[in-house]
Amino acid sequence: MNEATGPGRGGITRRGFLTGTGLAAAAASRLTAESTAERAAATQETAVAFGPGPVRIELVVNGRKLTTQVEPRVTLLDALRNYLDVTGCKRVCDRGTCGACTVMVDGRAVYSCTMLALEARGKDIRTAESLVVGGRLDPVPEAFVRCDAQQCGFCTPGFVVALRAALDKNPQATEAELEAAVAGNICRCGTYEQMRQAIAQLVRKGG
Amino acid sequence: MAEGWPKQRRVLGSKVRRLDGPAKATGLAKYTYDINRPGMLHGVIVRCPYAHARIKAIDSTATRKTPGFRALTILGVSRDGVVVAVEGNQLTYTPAAKKKAGQEERITVTVNERVTLIKNHKVVSLKEVQVGDRLTIEVEQDAIGRELFFAGEEIAAVAADTEEHARDAARALRVEYEVLEHVVAEDEVLKDRNKRTVPAPSNYSEGKAATQGDVEAGFREADAVVEATYGVPVISHQCLESHGLVAEWTADGGLTVWASTQATVATAQQLAARFGLPAARVNCITHYMGGGFGSKFGPDVQGFAAAELARRAGAPVKIMLDREAEITTAGNRPSAIGTVKIGGKKDGTITAYAVDCYGTPGYTGGATVNLNLLPYVYTDAIPNWKRSHAVVYINAGAARAMRAPGHPQNCVLTEFAIDDLAARLGIDPLIIRRKNLPPNNPKAPPNSWAARRNTIYNEQIDIAVQLSRWKEKWHPPGQGNQVGSRRYGIGMALHTWGGFAAGQPNECFVIIGRDGSIVARTSTQDLGTGQRTVTAVVVAEILGQDPASIITEIGESRFGQSSGSGGSTTCPSQAPAALRAAQAARDELFQKVAPKVQADPADLTIAPGKVVDRKTGREWTWKEFCARLGMEEARGRGVWSLGIANEPGNEDISSGQVGGVQVAEVSVDVETGLVRVHHIVAVQDCGLVVNRLTCESQVAGGVIMGLNYALFEECIRDRVTGRQLNADMEFYKLGGLGDMPKITVHLQDMPERGVIGIGEPPVISTAAAVGNAVFNALGVRVPFLPLTPWRVLQTLAQGGKIR
Repeated sequence: MNEATGPGRGGITRRGFLTGTGLAAAAASRLTAESTAERAAATQETAVAFGPGPVRIELVVNGRKLTTQVEPRVTLLDALRNYLDVTGCKRVCDRGTCGACTVMVDGRAVYSCTMLALEARGKDIRTAESLVVGGRLDPVPEAFVRCDAQQCGFCTPGFVVALRAALDKNPQATEAELEAAVAGNICRCGTYEQMRQAIAQLVRKGG
Repeated sequence: MAEGWPKQRRVLGSKVRRLDGPAKATGLAKYTYDINRPGMLHGVIVRCPYAHARIKAIDSTATRKTPGFRALTILGVSRDGVVVAVEGNQLTYTPAAKKKAGQEERITVTVNERVTLIKNHKVVSLKEVQVGDRLTIEVEQDAIGRELFFAGEEIAAVAADTEEHARDAARALRVEYEVLEHVVAEDEVLKDRNKRTVPAPSNYSEGKAATQGDVEAGFREADAVVEATYGVPVISHQCLESHGLVAEWTADGGLTVWASTQATVATAQQLAARFGLPAARVNCITHYMGGGFGSKFGPDVQGFAAAELARRAGAPVKIMLDREAEITTAGNRPSAIGTVKIGGKKDGTITAYAVDCYGTPGYTGGATVNLNLLPYVYTDAIPNWKRSHAVVYINAGAARAMRAPGHPQNCVLTEFAIDDLAARLGIDPLIIRRKNLPPNNPKAPPNSWAARRNTIYNEQIDIAVQLSRWKEKWHPPGQGNQVGSRRYGIGMALHTWGGFAAGQPNECFVIIGRDGSIVARTSTQDLGTGQRTVTAVVVAEILGQDPASIITEIGESRFGQSSGSGGSTTCPSQAPAALRAAQAARDELFQKVAPKVQADPADLTIAPGKVVDRKTGREWTWKEFCARLGMEEARGRGVWSLGIANEPGNEDISSGQVGGVQVAEVSVDVETGLVRVHHIVAVQDCGLVVNRLTCESQVAGGVIMGLNYALFEECIRDRVTGRQLNADMEFYKLGGLGDMPKITVHLQDMPERGVIGIGEPPVISTAAAVGNAVFNALGVRVPFLPLTPWRVLQTLAQGGKIR
């Protein structure tokens, strides 16, 4: 699929990329027309798509526009942590099974280790850091603190973000629905009993 | 006599929220993994892919050419030496270590790009080397012939400008291996005890044995004797923040590390020793820590490597283990498989107990159970016992302490046997437990464990029976409630643990400023136990403040002496140190201010938010009073250790040895084999409770770790490749919220016993209680943990009869 390498660019062409596997094409289509530079690139046959070298990207994180250079293989999690110093999302399993890296992407809870940084361009990314404003805690982390639903705290931002996303989607969510919202998150210290109390309090207060 | 805990307690023992809770819950707390230093490089370790191999060839040429590459170190081959000659590209030196009297070893090295020379913590060329220089010399080719004993063993470390580049550079290191025979399953060693695939003379080591009384006579006396084999697997700590550190050499030749460690002081000391620095030139920072559970007591290979790479590259380096390395190389809880024979009378008296067990600590290490503590909490009551333990080495990462090392294994090997005996005798296992509790020792100090243990356990069993509705729910094994294909059961187990102050001194400093601010400073680390808040609670109690107003500065080795957080020693060491420090600071405050307010220091006392002159009735607000310090401040130092705790009069400040009782209620689906735990009651003896909120959390968290041990966790290794198949989090199972039962925690307050550590005890008996509940549900024993559907169905299929 990489037959039409642009001279001196070392990358693959957009056409070559798009005529590749269905999966690659699907992924690529999600990346198209996200920015004016991209749109311009899409009209040029020999334009280099992405990589393998670093690509300049802009991400909107917690309402701030942040710019960096990452290789296309860099996940959203690694871009946030290693390139933008936004470290509330934690790297634990790095393959979408523990939930510690959960962030909100356009309001949806997403494992940021399973999304490429490039895919996140133009989307509204929110991390746990957005859940405190001027020292005022959002009700979700507030409930976690009150009930002591954290010990080492390394998994906590992931739980908190997943619950915030669920409550944003449905402020009337039941305890069972909120438990389901964090079914993909793992805590090793064993704070689930206190988490249930926090969830119960959140449900009583309506998020 | 020294002043102890206040009799009237305002904050101590109440529920105080974690001071760092908001920062942790919103991701603002910076853990080691989150540290990004200016110009920081990322390090990656090259690991052996085989379970047992020897390095045949190594070549870093390609690695050094990869984009962004900055530094490489070949592990385990560098030597320190003093240069005796430099000729052309030949360097001759005498090794610093192992100098024998009268004869000086000389080593000559041909220096090329694959030889690294380090002088004064900087990489130098041969031109910069003079006779008499002290160097670190690393010759890449010296790695040839090195034997590697498990998949994941460290070979080299590289640093590059980005993590992606560091991974590329690591992949580019060419290593050729001679693959050797491996063993990764305990049973293969038992088949051939002369096998040798590990550093020890053979993979099987006889281990220790001991006996008391006449075991055979004991079995003859018994009305019933049961013999069975039980076992628990190797499990992983699975710290969510993996092991690792960020190393940064300072301009003046010091070293600062941000480490995910349970021991800031020991980590700094080990780094100082390795790099020839005065201990005071290394600062180890652990402000926040993402779990350790016994596996994080030093820099480890990756920590030394990060510091080594940092000095070579002249830039900070971060190495954090990836999940696979975390599971395969950073410690584990060893397995234990034991054949237990137990005999008892109809009244519940155990007449004899014999256990013959073995387990694996990985490729090196010692016994995997606490042999001296078998038959566990009943040892002092059972007249005749026999115990032996063999160590089986396999080609896997070495075990490390894991939350109550040895105890969960002991508990299973004892408590499973007790319930099986009760079933054979046709009695409630409660009867056996009560009948064989260790006796009180009337000669021991009145509040000591030895004086009260029988009473404490009986009280705990009473409470557990009531909270779990045991009398209503217990039934003879296999004869309980059925709902469709589900069978219900209930089970109990007992545990014990130390929780004394640490042997090494622990310091705490309290500084009262003239603005009334209070700083509590200690080098100890908060693993998630709530130690930071505990320190604040103690200081706030003594100084009449709100814990939230105490400025806690913790987790830096330069803040003083502290021991590693192991053995549940931190709270019983640090809470008394904080007590003494606060008292000393208060006394200094009174000494300094009393003359200025025409008072006698002996008349001054602290009430909430104020200082009171008991003689005249005068009062000052805290701020008013502290303002009288003028240009001074009041400081106090507190120190505590096991030695101080053992001094007469100190037994109610901290002590140790606790008991606990847990009851689990389960249901088992006999069609699918699925075990569900519905309720766990945990009754925990905990001495003087400092912070009830975090103390309860510790107990509930321990129970959940025990539940994971019972139902989910196991390191599964492939016999053919020798690699772990589930070095991840999808196939290495840990329970989520939906798997959790209701957990009822009952703290058995005994403030007269002083502060006792309870991080470890509540983890011990959960798995045994769950296993016994499954036995009670089914009427057949599922003998090996974890109690997976496969194991349950296998047990049922192999002749286990259910109604």
